[in-house]
Amino acid sequence: MAEKGRSRRTALKLLAVVTGFFCFPTVSQAKTLATSPLRDNLLRPPGAVMEHHYPGKCIRCGRCVEVCPYHCVELLDIRHGLSAGTPIIDIEKSPCFLCMKCVHVCPTGALLPIEQHETRMGLAVIDHHTCVSWKPDSLLMCKTCYNVCPFRDTAIRMEEFRPHVDERYCTGCGICTNACLINRDQGGKAINVKPIYATIKLPEAPQ
Amino acid sequence: MSLSRRDFIKNTAALTAASYIGMSLPFVAGEASATDVASWHRGTCRLCGTGCRVQLGINSKGTPVAMRGEPKSRTNFGYLCMKGMMFYKIMNHPDRLKMPLYREKKTDKFREISWDKALDIAAQKFAESKQKYGPNSTAYYGSGQCLTEETYLFQKIMRAALQTNNVEGNPRLCMASAVGGYLTSFGADEPIGGYANIEKSSCMFLIGSNMAEAHPVIFRRVMRHKMNNKDKVKIINADPRISATSRIADMHMQFKPGTDLAMLNAMAYTIIDEKLHDEQFIQDYAVFRQGKKVQVDMDTYWQSLQDYTPEKAAAICGGNITAQMIREAARMFAKSDGTMTFWCMGINQRKRGVWANNLIHNLHILTGQLCKEGADSFSLTGQPNACGGVREGGGLCHILPGHRLVAKEKLRNQVEDAWGIPRGRIAPKPGAHTIKMFQQVNSADIKAIWINCTSPAQSLPNVDLYRKGMAREDVFIVTSDIFPTKTTELSNLVLPTAFHFEKTGVYGCTERRSQITPRAVVSPGEARPETWIATEWCARMAKYLNDPVVLQTVKPFLGKEMYVEQPEAIWDEYTQKLTKHRDNDLRGATYKVLKQMADGVQWPAATESYALTGGTVMKFVKGSDPMATSESKDDKPFQFYGPAHADRKLWVWVRPQAGADEEPDAEWPMYLSTGRIIDHWHTTSMTGRIPELMRANPYSFVEINPKDALKHGIKPNDMVEISSRRGKVTMPAKVMEGPIEGMVFAYWHDMHEDRMINKVVKDSFDPGSKEPEFKICACRIKRVSGPKALKPFVV
Repeated sequence: MAEKGRSRRTALKLLAVVTGFFCFPTVSQAKTLATSPLRDNLLRPPGAVMEHHYPGKCIRCGRCVEVCPYHCVELLDIRHGLSAGTPIIDIEKSPCFLCMKCVHVCPTGALLPIEQHETRMGLAVIDHHTCVSWKPDSLLMCKTCYNVCPFRDTAIRMEEFRPHVDERYCTGCGICTNACLINRDQGGKAINVKPIYATIKLPEAPQ
Repeated sequence: MSLSRRDFIKNTAALTAASYIGMSLPFVAGEASATDVASWHRGTCRLCGTGCRVQLGINSKGTPVAMRGEPKSRTNFGYLCMKGMMFYKIMNHPDRLKMPLYREKKTDKFREISWDKALDIAAQKFAESKQKYGPNSTAYYGSGQCLTEETYLFQKIMRAALQTNNVEGNPRLCMASAVGGYLTSFGADEPIGGYANIEKSSCMFLIGSNMAEAHPVIFRRVMRHKMNNKDKVKIINADPRISATSRIADMHMQFKPGTDLAMLNAMAYTIIDEKLHDEQFIQDYAVFRQGKKVQVDMDTYWQSLQDYTPEKAAAICGGNITAQMIREAARMFAKSDGTMTFWCMGINQRKRGVWANNLIHNLHILTGQLCKEGADSFSLTGQPNACGGVREGGGLCHILPGHRLVAKEKLRNQVEDAWGIPRGRIAPKPGAHTIKMFQQVNSADIKAIWINCTSPAQSLPNVDLYRKGMAREDVFIVTSDIFPTKTTELSNLVLPTAFHFEKTGVYGCTERRSQITPRAVVSPGEARPETWIATEWCARMAKYLNDPVVLQTVKPFLGKEMYVEQPEAIWDEYTQKLTKHRDNDLRGATYKVLKQMADGVQWPAATESYALTGGTVMKFVKGSDPMATSESKDDKPFQFYGPAHADRKLWVWVRPQAGADEEPDAEWPMYLSTGRIIDHWHTTSMTGRIPELMRANPYSFVEINPKDALKHGIKPNDMVEISSRRGKVTMPAKVMEGPIEGMVFAYWHDMHEDRMINKVVKDSFDPGSKEPEFKICACRIKRVSGPKALKPFVV
C-alpha cells in the first residue's frame, strides 16, 4: 500500500511539475504579454501616442469606447497582459469613420486631439498578389477601396485601372480594408492597414 | 465532494493535453475542392444593360463557385465589374424562395402550398376577375430582367387569353423616354450603332449618366480609348453633379437641374450660328418638326432657337456654365471626326424626357454625326433585357412584339394571325401605363395583378401612396421572384422562380445584341422557370374561362420540357413569326446560332449564316445593314426604314426649355436627385445578400454640397432628414463636391423603411413617354443627429 501510495504521490508531483512547467509563463510568453497588441488591421484609435507610451498613458477608462457612434472602438481583454483594457479598433470588423469624437474625450492624452486628415492610424498597403485589379492579366475590374476612401483621389488613386495608395495622405482609417471584396478565407484582405506609425515618428504633415 | 481525486487528475490531464494539442494543431485546411471549378458555362451578366458575357464556374457537386468574363465577347472583352464577379453567390442563398407561398388575407401568415394548388388559385382569381369585372381588371407588371421568352409569353397570355393590354414593366421607369426619343427623331427604336463605335470616336458627350458607376465595363472602354489617345479624344461631361464619371472629362458642364434642354438648344444654336452643321446631310435625310404633325422649315427652327443663344442659356443654366463653354462644347461636338453621345436616366427620368432625348438627337442630325464610324446617339440601358425583352418583345401597354403599336389595326391583325387566334381578339386600346396601373390598383379597378421579377413596392416613385393600394384586401397580387422583397410582403401568392443560369433564355442588351444564357445549375427547392409557370397558369385559366382561345395561346408550349425545349419553342415562335420583316428581324438568331456565339447577334439578322457573323453593327447603312439594301427606296447610302416615319427622314424637333414638374420654392428649397452606386443593383434584393458588396455600401446615404452643409450645420456622417410634400427619410450625409449647390443626391439601394428614398420622390411623369421623374423634385434637409451606427437591412 505504502509503495503504491508513494508512487502515486510521485506521479502526482511529477504531473504538477510538468503542468506547471507548461502553464506558467515562460520568458518568451511573459514578453508577449508585455508587447504591443497591434498588428495588421488591429489599430489604436486616432491621435494615439507612440505605442511604447500607450499602456502607461491610458487609464483604461473606456470613454473612447462609449463615445464612438459606430461601436468600432473595443477594449482589449485580460489575455493581452499589459495592454488589457486599452482601446483597439479591429478594422476588419468595423473601421474608423474618422468622426474624431474619441480624441476629445480622452482624459489623459493617450489620444491627442488631431484633425481628420492628419490622422495616421496606419498605412494601407495593397497586396498585389491577392488584389483582383493587380493580378497580372486580371480581367476583373474592382475599385472598391478607391470608391469608399474618404480621401478619394488623394489617398487612393486609380492609375491604369489599378488602385495606388499615397502614403502622404492615407490616414489608416481602414474603410478600404473593411470594404475589400477579398475575404480572409481567400488568403486575407487585398488591402491591409499596417500600424507603422505606432513605432516610428510621424513624417512631416503634408502641406 | 462528488469529484474524486482520480477524476480530478484525469480531468486535469485531459485538459492539459487538450489545450496543448489544440494549440499545436495545424490549421485545418478548408474543403480543398470547395472552390475548384469543374466546368465553366457561358452566359450573360444580369446586373446592368451592358450585356457582359460571363462564364459561371461550377464545382463537381454542381454548385456555382466562381464567375469570370468571357474574353471572346465583343461587349466586355472579358472584363467584369464587382457585381458581375460576385452575383453567383446569391444562387444558393438560404433566403431563396423554394416553395409556393399563399395566404388568403394579406394580414395572415404565408403557408407553403403545392404548385398544383398555387397555379389553380392564380388561374381562378384571374379568370374570376376577368368574368366579373372585365378584362381590364387584370394586369401584368414585368421587368427588364425577365428573359425575352418570359416577357413575350406573359404579354401573349394577357393579350390573347385575358384580352387586356394591361401589360407593363419596370422599363417604363427607365427606358420609355429613350424609346419615345428614338421613335420621334429616327423613326425606329434603339441605337443605330453599338459599342464598337467607342474605339473609333474622337469626341464623347456624356450627359445625364454616371457611367463610371452604372455601366463600369462600358466606362472602361471609354476610359481606355481616352487614355490611349489623350489629345485626340475629347470628353465632355454634362451633369448637375460631379460624379466618378466626371474624372476623365476634359470639360465638365455643371448646370442647375432641369435646365439641360436650354443648354442643348444653345449648342444647336451655336452649331448653326457658326455654320458647323452638315448641310448636305440635313438636305438628304432630315426634316424639321414642330408639334405632332406640323412640318416646318429650317428658318422656323432657327427662329425658335433665338431664345437660346449661349448667353441666354448660360443665364438659365446657372452653375459653372458660361456662353463660352457652351460654344466650346458645340464646336468640339460638331468638328470631331466622330462624336458619340451617351445618356441614361438623367435624361430619361424626367418630366420632359422625350424632349431631352429629341434635343440630343437634334445635335447629331444637324452635324451629320450619325451612321458613320465613331458617331452615334447612344442611349445606355439600365437593365439587361429592357431592350430585348420589353421593347422588342411587346412588354409595354402600347406595343406588341416586333416594335408594333397596339393602336394600329393592321399590326394587331398581323400578331393575331401569327398566334392563330381570331382577328379582333387583341383589345384595340393601349392599356394602363405603370403609374396609371398602380393608380388603378389604388382605386381597386385592377383586381388581380401579376408582378414578375421586380419590386414596385420599393421602386415606384412616391411609393407609400402605391403601397396603400397594394395592401388592399380586394386586390389579389401574385408575385414571382427568387427572394422575399418589399412586394412579396404585400402579395397573396408568392411563386418561387428559377434564377439566371437555372433556366434557358435570351437577353437583349443596349446595342441590339441578343445573347443566350443556357441552363447550367439546378434550382433550389421547387423553384421553376417563369415560362413553365405562365404556361401552366394559362392552361388552367382555359378551364375556368371555358374559352378555347385561352388554351390556344399556350398550346404550342404546353407539356414541353421546361428548361430548354419550352423556352426554345417560345423563342422560335417570337423570332420566326413576329420579327419577320420587322426592323428587329431576329430570324437568324436561333438557339443553335446563339449557343455557338461567344457573344450574341445584333439585329437585324434575317438568316442564320448572317447571324453567325455577329449581325448588324450599324443600322440603316448600306453595306453594313442588309435591310438598308433590301428596304432601299433610292440610291442614298443611308436608308431610315424605321416603322414610325413613313417619310423615311430623320426629324429635327423644335422643343422649348422645360423645367422639372416640381421646382424648389421657399418652403421646399432644395433639388433632390436620386441615383445608383457601383456595388448595388436596384432594390438590393440580390446585391444586398452578397456580404462583400454590402460591406462596401451597407446603406444608402445622401450627398450634400459643402456649402449647403455649412448652411444647415451638417457634418460628414451626420444623420440628415430629407423631406418633401410626400414623405421623409433619414440617412447619413456625405459632404462632398458632388452635387451642385442647392441640390442633394441620394442613393435608392436600401430596403430600410427609414431610408427608402422613393417615399420622397415625386410621381409626376412625362406626358409622352409616361416615364416618372425620379431625377428631380423639391425637398428640404435638416440635421437630425450626429453619426449613428446603422445596420444594413434586407427583407
